[in-house]
Amino acid sequence: MGKYVSYILKRVILAILSIIIVSAITFFVMELIPGGPFNKEKATSAEAQKVLEQRYNLDKPVLQQYAIYMSNIVKGDWGVSLKTGREIWPDITSKFYVSAKLGLMAAVLAIIFGIILGSIAALTRNRWPDRTIVFLTTLGTAMPSFVLATLLLLVFCMKLGMFPVWSANNPNYTLPIIALCVYPTAYITRLTKTSMLDALNQDFIRTAKAKGVTQNKLIFVHALRNALIPVVTYVGPMIAYILTGSMVVENIFTIGGLGTAFVQSITNRDYTTIMAITIFLAILMVIANMLTDIAYKLIDPRINFE
Amino acid sequence: MKKKLVSMLLVSAMVLGLCACGSSSETAGKKGSSVATKTNGDKDTLYVNLASEPAYLDPALNSSVDGGCLAVNSFVGLYTYNEEKKLVPAIATDMPEVSADGLTYKIKLNKTKWSNGEDLTAKDFVYSWNRVVAPETAADYAYLFDTIARKADGSLDVTADDDYTLTIKLVSPCPYFNDLLAFPTFLPVYQKGVEAASGTEPGKWAQTPDFVCNGAYTLKEWKHNESMKYVKNDNYYDADKVKIKNLNFMLSADETAIYAAYNSGDVDFIDSVPTDEIQALKGNKEFNIVDQLGTYYIAFNVNSDLFKNMSVKQANKFREAISLLIDRNYIVKTVGQTDQKVADSFVPEGMSDGNGKKYKTKDVSYYDAEETGAKQTDKAVKLLKEAGFKLKKKDDGTYKISPAVSIPYLVNDNQAHKAIAQCIQQDLAGVGIELTIQSEDWNVFLQDRKDGKFTLAREGWIADYDDPINMLELFSSKSGNNDPQFGKGESKSAPDWTEYDSLMDEAHKTTDMAERAKVLHKAEDMLMETNAVIPIYFYNDVYMQKSNVKGVYTTVYGMKYFMYATKN
Repeated sequence: MGKYVSYILKRVILAILSIIIVSAITFFVMELIPGGPFNKEKATSAEAQKVLEQRYNLDKPVLQQYAIYMSNIVKGDWGVSLKTGREIWPDITSKFYVSAKLGLMAAVLAIIFGIILGSIAALTRNRWPDRTIVFLTTLGTAMPSFVLATLLLLVFCMKLGMFPVWSANNPNYTLPIIALCVYPTAYITRLTKTSMLDALNQDFIRTAKAKGVTQNKLIFVHALRNALIPVVTYVGPMIAYILTGSMVVENIFTIGGLGTAFVQSITNRDYTTIMAITIFLAILMVIANMLTDIAYKLIDPRINFE
Repeated sequence: MKKKLVSMLLVSAMVLGLCACGSSSETAGKKGSSVATKTNGDKDTLYVNLASEPAYLDPALNSSVDGGCLAVNSFVGLYTYNEEKKLVPAIATDMPEVSADGLTYKIKLNKTKWSNGEDLTAKDFVYSWNRVVAPETAADYAYLFDTIARKADGSLDVTADDDYTLTIKLVSPCPYFNDLLAFPTFLPVYQKGVEAASGTEPGKWAQTPDFVCNGAYTLKEWKHNESMKYVKNDNYYDADKVKIKNLNFMLSADETAIYAAYNSGDVDFIDSVPTDEIQALKGNKEFNIVDQLGTYYIAFNVNSDLFKNMSVKQANKFREAISLLIDRNYIVKTVGQTDQKVADSFVPEGMSDGNGKKYKTKDVSYYDAEETGAKQTDKAVKLLKEAGFKLKKKDDGTYKISPAVSIPYLVNDNQAHKAIAQCIQQDLAGVGIELTIQSEDWNVFLQDRKDGKFTLAREGWIADYDDPINMLELFSSKSGNNDPQFGKGESKSAPDWTEYDSLMDEAHKTTDMAERAKVLHKAEDMLMETNAVIPIYFYNDVYMQKSNVKGVYTTVYGMKYFMYATKN
């Protein structure tokens, strides 16, 4: 038990350190990028620019700006968007809620279908189900998300009229979820197949078979459990990635998620929003990695935290 | 063998996919088709896409056209525009009563209400306008109020004589002042609402739905980057004429999604169309092209090293040669595609001169824009020689120029702008001038243009009000939009810009409107003589509107009015 606690404690400290490093790098690199948050086609007057720079501390030296920013973050003040004047934290959480809702559904579908299809492919190696799955997964990993999302839009919304392209009253998330889950499903399928084949060729499986263990128990208890380790390695960061949204999918299906907000903030040089989303994503990433490591231990008791 | 089979299947899938993509244009109708697209059955709601969401809904802080469109549909000022694009009284009872010297405007107000039922009075205008000019508001358009005189305490000389009478004193006669009174920045805001929203953010009061306004619609729901739902304001002064109960905005800037939403019937009105679809849409009754006051142009940085060995006259001649070589008709036909008029002056056609006439007449033409391009090669060659270059004709009819000229052309990352750049590149290649296209991210592009870190850049300006000074003032040396860097730097090849600045000052101060028009023409002559600003075409605007929708109208400033729309 003590090992677990000290391991988790160590990981938490490392995570905090990682977040601080990420925030510092982002802040200073952001300052180096040309352009500014108040650039517009119809130029902002020098007087207005001065007031805005004072309001957001942009008139201060960069180091001081960073210190002010981080001390505010520690106090829970994420600041306001330099582009819209809106408070960032409620904005991020509401957008994350939208992205996470879609992402979570896509992730669950990807894990379920990925493992099932991967197992089927491994167990029917070189037969038609395996070949069909290989073809579909190759297509799924090769097709860029903007092509897939556009195709889904054209076929299911335009041609078949099954879903609205956009609706203010009843937005339908079926197509964006499909667009989001195709790539991870294909990837998990391939991973599962490879590691399942690897597991099926292990000595312990042969021994179990010789001892008369049933086929189902052999596959689901012995082979699949071992095959899942590389899948878990991928699933952790994949969930963190998918939960934070995809700009391409969100744009095509008009979804106000975090992916679009992040890209827009970079385009607009909305420094405070860039920083806030980066820190938020960094936190998600380190949590996902930590949970992945803990999941390893649960799946494979041989793994030692030390 | 198996690999081959898989490859073939993959290729087939991709081809099928591309076919599906390619068929999208059929939905909107074949070339010249007048077949109506699918409509939705909701007669009470108008579904609209203008753009992605605006940064601000506060009329004082908004500086975008799409934000302006939202503002004029949820706020109403003293004056507005009607379907005939004419300025008409809204909150005002009549047109202003102007003193003989043109300096005092007296305006009577109708008794109207805010959306919460409280009375809207002249004091609301005094408050709203002073709020715009307050330094802490940092409003982009605060300078529009420079036309209004100031009191000793620095506030605007605008007085509420009583609850329904407003007196405004101007610095000097302003022929476009009535237009300004209908401009979004001049819309009134609800003082109690603004002041109740604490904090340093001046626009906070309009960041959440249900803020008090006085226009035809009030905001009920806002899902960021997805949708905005407006509902009819029963306290709107002209509510009886508002038939559509709900106004729902699709918040997207993705042209594919917007066009798909229109074709599927999810949206009734869009004001952007994919460039690839324009040719097919021409002749379609749902596709509309409307006038706009603005000019697409390119601009040289007059302090560029490109001119360092030239005199002012030589630099002018060099730039004139470039201007003449650009085939404007080809650009409009192949890239613009919406029958834009080729530009032969900077101030666009249709603009008033502030003295009761149109500014641009047949005489105001600096070259024959219909004839520019390859036809002008001989003249351009002559000008280039006068600018100090040697040109030798080659066997294929093109020229070799020495010393070699390479012009970096700065554009923002946009297909249409790049396509125009390629047209110009081809035009200049005929005389041996190399044009290298440099594409930049929008924000960096704006910064570089402003800082003069370019040689030649793409430009464009849509007027905010109907007066040439709105166009010409861009180039006064103190203007934040003086991208050609006139009057800045020490370059010996740059024109002396003192006179231009004086002309702008004179145009602001003069009380004689006929004289003012002359001054503005003189300024444009001076600007065009430099050839640092090269007009390409005058803007127009496009939109698509479902066949069952009537009553939506636009202005030459790009504003769209939805409150008098009807749906069958």
